[in-house]
Amino acid sequence: MNAPYSRLTVLSVCLMIGLGALGYPLVNLQVLKHDYWQQHANDNTHRTIAREPIRGQILDIRGNALAYSSPVKTVCADPTLLGPYRLIVAHALAPLLQTNENILADHLIPRVLSVTNGKTNFSKYTLLAHKVPIDTWNTIKDTMAKLQLGVDEKKIKTKDQMFYWALHNKAVFSEDDQIRTYPNHNLAAHVVGFASNDELQTGVAGIEASFNKQLSGVRGWRTTEMDKRQRELVAYRDQDVEAQDGLNVILTLDARLQNIAETELAVAMNRHHPISASCTIIRPKTGEILAMATLPNFDPNHPGASSADALRNRVISDIAEPGSTFKIVPISGGLNEHVVKLTDMFNCEHGHFAYAGKILHDHKSYDVLSVEGIITKSSNIGAAKVGILLGEQQLYSYIHRFGFGSRTGIALPGEVNGILHPLAKWSKVSIAQIPMGQGVCATPLQMIMAMSAIANNGRLMRPMIVDRLEDETGKVVAKYQPQFVTNVADSAAIKDMIKALKTVVTHDGTAPSAKLEHYTVAGKTGTAQKNEHGQYVQKFFSSFIGFFPADDPEICISVVLDEPHEGGHYGGDTAAPIFKAIAEAAANYLNLKPDIDLPTASQSLLTSAGEPVTDHGKKN
Amino acid sequence: MYDRTLNDKRGELDWPLIVASFGLMVIGVFFVFSATSAVEIAKEMPWFQQTFAKQIIWCAAGCGAALALSKLDYVSLARWSTVIYWAMILCLIGVLVKGSAINGSKRWITLPLGFNFQPSEFAKIAFVLLQANFLSRPVEELRQTKTFWIALCLTLLPFVLILKEPDMGSALVFLSTSLVMMFVAGIPKRVLGTLVATTAVIVVLVAVATLMAPTRLQKIVTPYQQKRLRAFIGVEESYNVKQALISVGSGGFSGKGWRQGTQHSLGFLPRMGAHNDFIFSVIAEEEGFVGSVVILTLYTMLLFYGIKIASQARDRLGKLLAIGVVALLFSHVFINIGMNIRIMPVAGIPLPLVSYGGSSVVCSLIAIGLLHNVHIHRKSY
Repeated sequence: MNAPYSRLTVLSVCLMIGLGALGYPLVNLQVLKHDYWQQHANDNTHRTIAREPIRGQILDIRGNALAYSSPVKTVCADPTLLGPYRLIVAHALAPLLQTNENILADHLIPRVLSVTNGKTNFSKYTLLAHKVPIDTWNTIKDTMAKLQLGVDEKKIKTKDQMFYWALHNKAVFSEDDQIRTYPNHNLAAHVVGFASNDELQTGVAGIEASFNKQLSGVRGWRTTEMDKRQRELVAYRDQDVEAQDGLNVILTLDARLQNIAETELAVAMNRHHPISASCTIIRPKTGEILAMATLPNFDPNHPGASSADALRNRVISDIAEPGSTFKIVPISGGLNEHVVKLTDMFNCEHGHFAYAGKILHDHKSYDVLSVEGIITKSSNIGAAKVGILLGEQQLYSYIHRFGFGSRTGIALPGEVNGILHPLAKWSKVSIAQIPMGQGVCATPLQMIMAMSAIANNGRLMRPMIVDRLEDETGKVVAKYQPQFVTNVADSAAIKDMIKALKTVVTHDGTAPSAKLEHYTVAGKTGTAQKNEHGQYVQKFFSSFIGFFPADDPEICISVVLDEPHEGGHYGGDTAAPIFKAIAEAAANYLNLKPDIDLPTASQSLLTSAGEPVTDHGKKN
Repeated sequence: MYDRTLNDKRGELDWPLIVASFGLMVIGVFFVFSATSAVEIAKEMPWFQQTFAKQIIWCAAGCGAALALSKLDYVSLARWSTVIYWAMILCLIGVLVKGSAINGSKRWITLPLGFNFQPSEFAKIAFVLLQANFLSRPVEELRQTKTFWIALCLTLLPFVLILKEPDMGSALVFLSTSLVMMFVAGIPKRVLGTLVATTAVIVVLVAVATLMAPTRLQKIVTPYQQKRLRAFIGVEESYNVKQALISVGSGGFSGKGWRQGTQHSLGFLPRMGAHNDFIFSVIAEEEGFVGSVVILTLYTMLLFYGIKIASQARDRLGKLLAIGVVALLFSHVFINIGMNIRIMPVAGIPLPLVSYGGSSVVCSLIAIGLLHNVHIHRKSY
C-alpha cells in the first residue's frame, strides 16, 4: 500500500507547481509590469476632447453679415449594426438626407476592410451626409429611435434586444461640423472670398484667406474620462479650456453701396457685353473702400460652380494699360514741377505727332489746346508733350509716387504689382507713350488710388478694406487707422488738376454723361486700346474714374469695362453713364450735401414742363 | 483509559477548511457586490434583488446542503452513486434536448420559479462520487484493462455530453479530475501514460484543425471556441482577455480599493462576466497583488487540507472521494485564474465559492461538504 501514498505526494507536488504557475504571472502582471497595464487602463478612460471654435463672421461697416458659421452635423453610420434592416433604414433616411434611397442603401453595405486569419473585418464607419442642419439631425435621431422593423421588440431574447438597441441608438451617429454661410450670395463675393468646405474651414480667397488666422479662433480642449460607451464621467473632468471663437472682421465695405455698384455693373454688362466690369467706391480722405465689385462674380456658398475667371478679383489681380485716365499723372507732375501751367498752350498737331520714329494719334484732330484742354479733350499728343517737357526722370518719379509699379498693400490676397519698367528699359518713345497710359500697366485699384490722391489734396492713402476686429461680444480688438503713404503733389498743383478734371464732365469734355445734377464731378475717362502680341487692336479697356463733390470729395468711384462690345467703346460713352448712375444712388444713400444749388420748386416744375432753364450763369 | 480522539466515532470539524471556505465565500459576496453595484445601484434596485443578495442566499443554501451531506456517512452515500450518476446523465441529455441557451451554449435547464439549473455542475459531483466508488475496488482489479476502460467510459459519457452543449471548459474538468483519481487509485502508470499521450495528441490535432485546417474541418469546434483558442495562442487579439489583463495588471501591488476598479465599473470588462467568470480580475484590480495572494492562499489551504483529509481517510473510497473533490476544485481554480491572466484559453469556468452562480456555489459547497464528510468519518468503522 505504499504506492498510493507516494502518488499522493506526486499529486501534492503537481499542485504546488500548478499554483506556482499561477503565482508567477501574477507577480509579473501586477508588480513588474504594473505601469504598462496601468497605462492601458488609463487609455481606456482618459480622453482629450478638442473644443472647436466657431469661425468669426465677416460683416460690413453697418453690421450686415456677409459670412457666418453655424454648427451642423456630419451624419455617419456603422453598417455592421444594421443587420438585415439596411433597406428599411435607407428608406427612412433618404428623404431626410435628400439623397436617393438606392445610393444610400449602397452606402450602408458593410465594406470589407481586411481579412485576417480567415476573419473578415468590416468597416464600422461610413459617411452618409455632410453639413446636415441640427434640426434635421434631431429628426434623423428620432426616426432611427422609432424605426419600425416589423418585429415585436419586447418579445425577443436579450442578445437580440442588444442588437435592436444598438440599431436604434448607435447605428446612425453624427460628428460636429460647421457650415459657412454667405447670406448675400454673390454680393461682394470677391472681397469676402470663401473658405474650404471641410471642418477646418480654411480661408481660400478674399478676406476669408487674408484674415484666416483671426477668423479661425483658437481650439480649446477638455481632458476627461469616459466609460466603455463613451459617456463622459463629469466628476473626473480635469482640464477644461474653452475654445476661443474666431474674431469678427468688420469691413469698410457698405453692403448697400456694394449692391448699388453690382446692380449698375449688371446693367453695364447687359448693355455693352464686356468680358468683365468692375467698380470700386472709395472714400478718398481715408482710403476706405466702400464697395469693390467685379462682374462676372460667383456665389461663395458654391465657389466650385463658377469658372476660375469668375473667382478672380479683377480690381486687384488684373492689369491693363490704363489709357487716358493715366494722364492725371504726367499733368499733375508737370503742374507740380511748374513745367506747365493750366493755361499753357500746346500744339496738338491735328492728331498726328511723329515722335521717335512713331506716329502718335489723338482720337480727334485738335489744333492747339491748353493744358486744361488736354485733360478736357483727353489729347494723347498734348499729354505726351507735357510728359516730354517733364522729362523721363521726373515722369518716372511721379508715376512711382502715385503708387504704380508696386502693390497698394490692400489686405486682400492676390494683388499684383502692375508693370512699370525701370528707366533703363524705357525706349525712346516711352516718354511720349507712357503719359497717355500706354507702356505701363496698372490694376484698377492702383488707378483709383491715384485719382483718390488727387481728390485727397495730393495725399496718397493706402486702401483700407478692414475697419476693425471684434470678439464675439462686440468688444473691439483691433481698430485699423487710415494710412497715409505719400504726398504726390502740393495743393496748388492739385487745385489746378481738379479744376481741369471738372471740365471733363462738361459738354466740351469727354464725359458729359458723367455729370451729376447736384454735385460737381471731377473725373477722367480712359479708353485704352488693347495690345495683343505687340499690336494695338480694336479692343478697348474703357474706364471712368471720378470723385465728387469736386472741391471737398466724399467719394471716388471708378468704373472699368473690359472690352465693351456694343454701345460704343469710349470710356465717356460706356463707363461714364454707369459712373453717373452709381454716383447718384450712392450720394442719395450717403446723404451727401449737394454743392450745386437745387433749382427752386417752381423752376423745376417749369423745367419738367419743357421750358428750358436758361439762366445758368446767375445760379452759379 | 478513555481517549476521546481515539474512541469518538466521529472526528472533529476541520476548522482550517471551514475558515478557508468561509473566507472565499465572504470575499466572493463582497466582490460580486462590487462588480454588479455600478449597474444595479444605478437601476435603483432594492438591495434584496441585487446579485450579491442572491449570492448570499446561494451560499446559505450551499452551506445547508454541505451540512446535511456531512451528517450522512459517505459510504452510505456512495451506495446511491450509480443512481445519482445516471440521473445526472439524464439531466445532461435533457439539457441538450430542451435546455435554455445563454451566449449560444445550452447549459441550463429552467426550473419552475425561474431558477436556472446547470446540470453540468452537479454532474461533476455525481461523477466524482461514482468514480470514487468504482475505483475503490481492490488494487489488483484496477490493474485489469477492463477496469480502466470502464472508468474511462464513465468519464467520457458526461464529457461528450457536456462538450456537446458546448462547454469545453467543464468537459475538460471531467478529464483532469478523472485522470487524477485514476492515478491516485493506482491504475498502472503505463496505462495512464498512454491515456495522457493520446489525449495530448487529440488536443494537438484539434488545435491544428482549428487553426489551420480548411473551413470544412473546422466545424469540430464552434466559432467562438476557435476565437478563444486563437486569442490564447496569440494570433488574434481578444478584447475580453486584454481587458482582463489590464484589470489584473492595473491593480498593481495594493490595488485601487474596493469598488474603485474602473475596468469593470465603466464596462471595459464584459458586464456579463465581471461577477462570474472574470471575478478574479475584479479582485485583482481592486485589491492588487495582495488580494490575488490572499485568494491563492485560501485555495492553497483548501486544497492541501483536502489532500491531508485524503491521506487520513479511513478507506480507499474516502481517499478517492477527497482527491476527486481536490482535483475538481483545483481544475476550476487553475482554469479560471489562468484565463484571467492568459495562461489558459477563455473557458466558461467559475471560480469556486467566489464567482456568482447558484449551481456553482451550491456544488462547490456540496463538494467541500463531501470532503468534510470524509474528514469527520475518518475514524468511524
